[in-house]
Amino acid sequence: MYVELKHINKNYGNFQASKDVSFGIEQGKLVALLGPSGSGKTTILRMIAGLEHPNSGEILIDGKVVNDIPATKRGIGFVFQSYALFRYMTVFDNVAFGLEIQKVPKDEIKKRVLELIELVGLKGMEKRYPNQLSGGQRQRVAFARALAPNPSILLLDEPFAAIDAKVRQELRSWLKNMIEKLGVTSIFVTHDQDEAIEVADEIIITNKGRVEQKGTPIEVYQNPKTAFTASFFGQPSELVDYKQFNTFKDLKNVDKVFVRPEFVKVTKKSEQQFYKTSAVEGVIEQIFFRGNTLELVVRVGDNVFTARRGLDEELVEIGEKVDIFLYRIFVTSGDEAHLVQNQSIREESLVI
Amino acid sequence: MEIFDQKEARSRKITKYILIGLSVLFIAVMLILPLASVIVNSLREGVDYYFKALSTDYVTSALVVTFIATVIAVAVNTVFGLVASWVITKFDFKGKNVLSTLIDIPFSISPVIAGLAFIMTFGRLGWASEIIDSINSALGTDIQIVFAIPGVVLATIFVTFPFVSREIVPVLNTVGKDEEEAASILGAGGFKIFRKITFPHIKWALVYGIILCTARALGEFGAVHALSKTRGGTFTLPLEIDALYMSGSADSITAAFAVSSLLVLIAVAVLIVRNVFEFRTKSKNRKGK
Ligand SMILES: Nc1ncnc2c1ncn2[C@@H]1O[C@H](COP(=O)(O)OP(=O)(O)OP(=O)(O)O)[C@@H](O)[C@H]1O
Ligand SMILES: [Mg+2]
Repeated sequence: MYVELKHINKNYGNFQASKDVSFGIEQGKLVALLGPSGSGKTTILRMIAGLEHPNSGEILIDGKVVNDIPATKRGIGFVFQSYALFRYMTVFDNVAFGLEIQKVPKDEIKKRVLELIELVGLKGMEKRYPNQLSGGQRQRVAFARALAPNPSILLLDEPFAAIDAKVRQELRSWLKNMIEKLGVTSIFVTHDQDEAIEVADEIIITNKGRVEQKGTPIEVYQNPKTAFTASFFGQPSELVDYKQFNTFKDLKNVDKVFVRPEFVKVTKKSEQQFYKTSAVEGVIEQIFFRGNTLELVVRVGDNVFTARRGLDEELVEIGEKVDIFLYRIFVTSGDEAHLVQNQSIREESLVI
Repeated sequence: MEIFDQKEARSRKITKYILIGLSVLFIAVMLILPLASVIVNSLREGVDYYFKALSTDYVTSALVVTFIATVIAVAVNTVFGLVASWVITKFDFKGKNVLSTLIDIPFSISPVIAGLAFIMTFGRLGWASEIIDSINSALGTDIQIVFAIPGVVLATIFVTFPFVSREIVPVLNTVGKDEEEAASILGAGGFKIFRKITFPHIKWALVYGIILCTARALGEFGAVHALSKTRGGTFTLPLEIDALYMSGSADSITAAFAVSSLLVLIAVAVLIVRNVFEFRTKSKNRKGK
């Protein structure tokens, strides 16, 4: 493990922002810290950078405990959420700052800075001040500035938060390519699931100061291990009264039940229904056009949840009565979550 | 529709001119006229008399005392103001709010009380007078605080000490810690961060704070009045003006105005220097170095 946190606790006054946080990151990996607002993501990042100090626990970088090494000496690159560019310096001086402090010879600084500015696609803007740049351009300057001293670790706090959706998409893939090319171990904070899934090699899910789960995007998506992850990842809806779905009514030890949109089969009355006996009737309450699918809000008794239908299927209408079949559900008991298949899938397919 | 728009635009224009007119009138009546009358009155008995009034021993002595007190007070308060603002905005500690409230005390306390407080501290009956005495006997010196120049300096420092930090703290608060943290992660030490990152942000607030501090130090009356009793020895310009005016003869009243005009001119000069300074740096920045 290149970066390792061991049993980190962090308090701000009476408030505990990190609770027994432990995880490790391999060299060269791009890892996402994903969690709701206030779950302690920034706190973790700032402790790794040395801007904040844990009350207990150890932080290791490349096998060495760095708790007592100040931020100035850790050799980490940090891209702030607000970019924190130096307002009174030009783009060139911003990027050159770290190198000047290392007393790199002038001509080398110039060479490296111009190289980086070209790399991030801002050639010709060296003399501008931050307030003469667009959000996306500022983000790139922040990135170049963090990379200039060749850090071994790059930390990014919601690097795309302040950028509009379209540019964000571009920057995301750009950043991923760039980090891969440089091979620098990177951790980025986000609360956008799609961003984490798309960009990261691994995802660490945080909630209320704890690490809930860590794994590749596919692992975490398919196998939420904790109640929180099941309730958070993949647009789940909670079923407040799961007993209304016949096949699941005999479950034991159930705290909560969640369904993801892809767990739900919505069939029009006029369409052929494969799982007749275990389907229940529901009503379409809302329809959202999501570009490549229709997102439906469906009600079955007291349960209101999200489902999808493809655009190649026959259209449904608001208020229409439809058949609802659940392929599977997530069931949580205590802090754990597990997947439960609909048994009738097997039984009925045997009958047919 | 268009006519209506035009009407509205015209009435907006009228409001604008009325407001501008009112502000100009107010400033003229409250500021320009009184100050101009100081200058006019000071010249009532001719230019010769004006310069003679300014070159009496009393006035030159007062000028020197004022100069000493102002320079020391501004220097001390600039350092203090910078340190205090830094502490208040960059660190979290218990009693931080108390500290920033305490700094404002000179704003809310009458200067006369400040002067009396110094007498009660350093005067014959004050608790600190013994300390001063023992220092004097140990070093063979004869340092006096009250009714002497050090008292005048102390009083001036007291009444002017919030100015610099009051200007800087809001700027530092809105700027936040981001840039400084970014600089420290890039390896910059404390002094480098101050010089390269913080200072450019607070430069104008600092200049403005120093100017306000200077203006107040030059004009301080109440606190100094309590601590300074020797005309021609420890009197500052405002005290000298008061003494001239109070002596009541027509000549000395004109002299009082002449000395006042000196303070007015210094104030105007300070403001001009500031504007020139500001304009230069701004146009330099606009060119992008
Ligand atoms: N300096 C501080 N003093 C007191 N509490 C703090 C401080 N910084 C953070 N906190 C608290 O710690 C918790 C975690 O904060 P943190 O900034 O790490 O959250 P986050 O996961 O980054 O959230 P977001 O996604 O909104 O940025 C929050 O509840 C926050 O209020
Ligand atoms: Mg955050």
